[in-house]
Amino acid sequence: MSVRDKAWFPVVYMFAVTAAFSSVLIGFAEGLRPRVESNRRAALERAVLAVLPLEAPAADSAQIRHELFKSLTAVTERGAEKVTAYQVVRDGRVRASALLFEGQGFWNRIRGVIGVGADGRSVLGIAIYEQSETPGLGAEIVTPRFTEQFRKGKVLGVKTALRFVAETAKAGSGEVNGVTGATQTCSRLERMLNARLARWTADTAQPGGTE
Amino acid sequence: MTLGSEFAHALVVCFAAIFTGNILLTTFLGMCPFLAVSREVRTALGLGAAVAFVMTCTCALNWLAYRYVLVPLGIEFFRFILFIIIIAAFVQFVEMVIERVSMPLYQSLGIFLPLITVNCAILGASLFMVIRGYSFLATVGYGLGSGLGWMLAIVSMAGIRRKLATNRIPEGLQGPAITMIIAGIMALAFIGFTGVLAGR
Amino acid sequence: MSATPVQKRDLVLDGLWRNNPVFRQVLGICSALAVTNLLLNTLVMCASLTFTTAMSCLTVSLLRRWTPRRIRMMVQTLIIAFYVIIIDILLQAFWPAMSTALGPFVGLIITNCIIMGRCEAFAGSHAPVPSLLDGLFSGLGYSVVLCLIAFCRELLGMGTLLGRPMPFFGSELWNNWVIMVMPPGAFFTLALVVWFFRSRQGAPAQGGGK
Repeated sequence: MSVRDKAWFPVVYMFAVTAAFSSVLIGFAEGLRPRVESNRRAALERAVLAVLPLEAPAADSAQIRHELFKSLTAVTERGAEKVTAYQVVRDGRVRASALLFEGQGFWNRIRGVIGVGADGRSVLGIAIYEQSETPGLGAEIVTPRFTEQFRKGKVLGVKTALRFVAETAKAGSGEVNGVTGATQTCSRLERMLNARLARWTADTAQPGGTE
Repeated sequence: MTLGSEFAHALVVCFAAIFTGNILLTTFLGMCPFLAVSREVRTALGLGAAVAFVMTCTCALNWLAYRYVLVPLGIEFFRFILFIIIIAAFVQFVEMVIERVSMPLYQSLGIFLPLITVNCAILGASLFMVIRGYSFLATVGYGLGSGLGWMLAIVSMAGIRRKLATNRIPEGLQGPAITMIIAGIMALAFIGFTGVLAGR
Repeated sequence: MSATPVQKRDLVLDGLWRNNPVFRQVLGICSALAVTNLLLNTLVMCASLTFTTAMSCLTVSLLRRWTPRRIRMMVQTLIIAFYVIIIDILLQAFWPAMSTALGPFVGLIITNCIIMGRCEAFAGSHAPVPSLLDGLFSGLGYSVVLCLIAFCRELLGMGTLLGRPMPFFGSELWNNWVIMVMPPGAFFTLALVVWFFRSRQGAPAQGGGK
């Protein structure tokens, strides 16, 4: 075929092939975009609801979860571009807050939610919705064995930070047991949580608060 | 973040990429040329330097492309294709420049450049940089650190294999298998660095 | 032109054993070793890789009469990237937890030496159906070895398989070999697997028909 020997053929062919494949890809991506977005929302919603002291929903369906989630008040702290916390407001008073936190773990980003009581100092629980730490080691931070520790009402003093202690040690009031073999993940998580709590306490201490 | 603290962060990222999160010894990227070339320290040095240079520059270029082209258009999924195109184009460009500027350099390094284009570590570094959301300075630090770390691993490997050249290795272990064992021991050794940087 | 039964059998054998990428050439281990700490992740990765190899070989073969020689590497890369992006988007949409767990390693399938190798060596000069089969069985041969590594790593390192605790290894009697969960464990396991198979296979086979 003579057209294939022309000098311009490779260039035109490259363009044509690229255009053809790209259009299929873009169509595909656009078609599935709503689904990808809703997956992200669902993970976040589930994590936020897990740390707040709400009545457990009758059935675990996405619809009910979404309704419950919409009943929360979204908060954007000073200096932030998007929502950074969700609060349960009843009778005009804040009962509990779920703070979104994020930071660099050992491998990649860790994103989660930490629930604090109305006083801003008692921890209600944590839920991590995105992490890619080492399975069996760092990834243990998403297991109930680890996260349940945070439900036991750790109360932090005004200046005291949350501390991670060895897995075999006895955890005091402001302490949780880390995961043996996951020192990096635990120390980063510790720093992440404390930084988040410090920022929140600083904000709520301002007159006018973050309503 | 102030410029000073950004720079400090970039330095820490660089250091971490060389030692604690060595791209070859912890994420296994860039193994193919590693296995083929790591017999002579001199060739390993040459390839390592070339990879380090290309990795730093392409990470920076890819950051710019991601931030100013892909994100505004909302086609982040295109990064796989765009990054490869940028890497291939950059390597072509460098090859042309070296050929014009210095023939001796071209003769010693030029042969590595085509090998580099399909090196998974280069694309991998760019993809990791996107996932971790590094700033521009941190990306440059990360690219440089990853490249230097790769070079460190491959040069060490070449040195060790030279030492092993006179040893009697079982037939089944010769070649890839013994290299894997050496790499495993090196990876073990590098884990010792994890405590050096308190949490970066 | 369809391949004779003998040729088809050769394709299967070559992909799975004689030219099995991981043993003979130890190619493409890069993008896969990192996910072998969990068997489930490895299975998903292998499925993605096999799909990509097979479909890329098919597409390259379909386009082979039209693709100019000078740009065939670029076209091959484009085709491989196309299928990989599709898989990436599918994972993000239907299995987001797995997508996060696999991270950038799905994207790195593009630079996997095996796929490019098969496209260059076979698909560029053979009919579509043999190319598809060649790609499919190369991918499967590779998958078998990876799954073997993952099997050892998850069982010895965590006492589970596919997330479920196993009889002896999941019990108190077994002290998890933490090294298996970390990068050095992958290197050592791969070395042992290669050693085992190389010893069984004896001297490298001559030719191989490719």
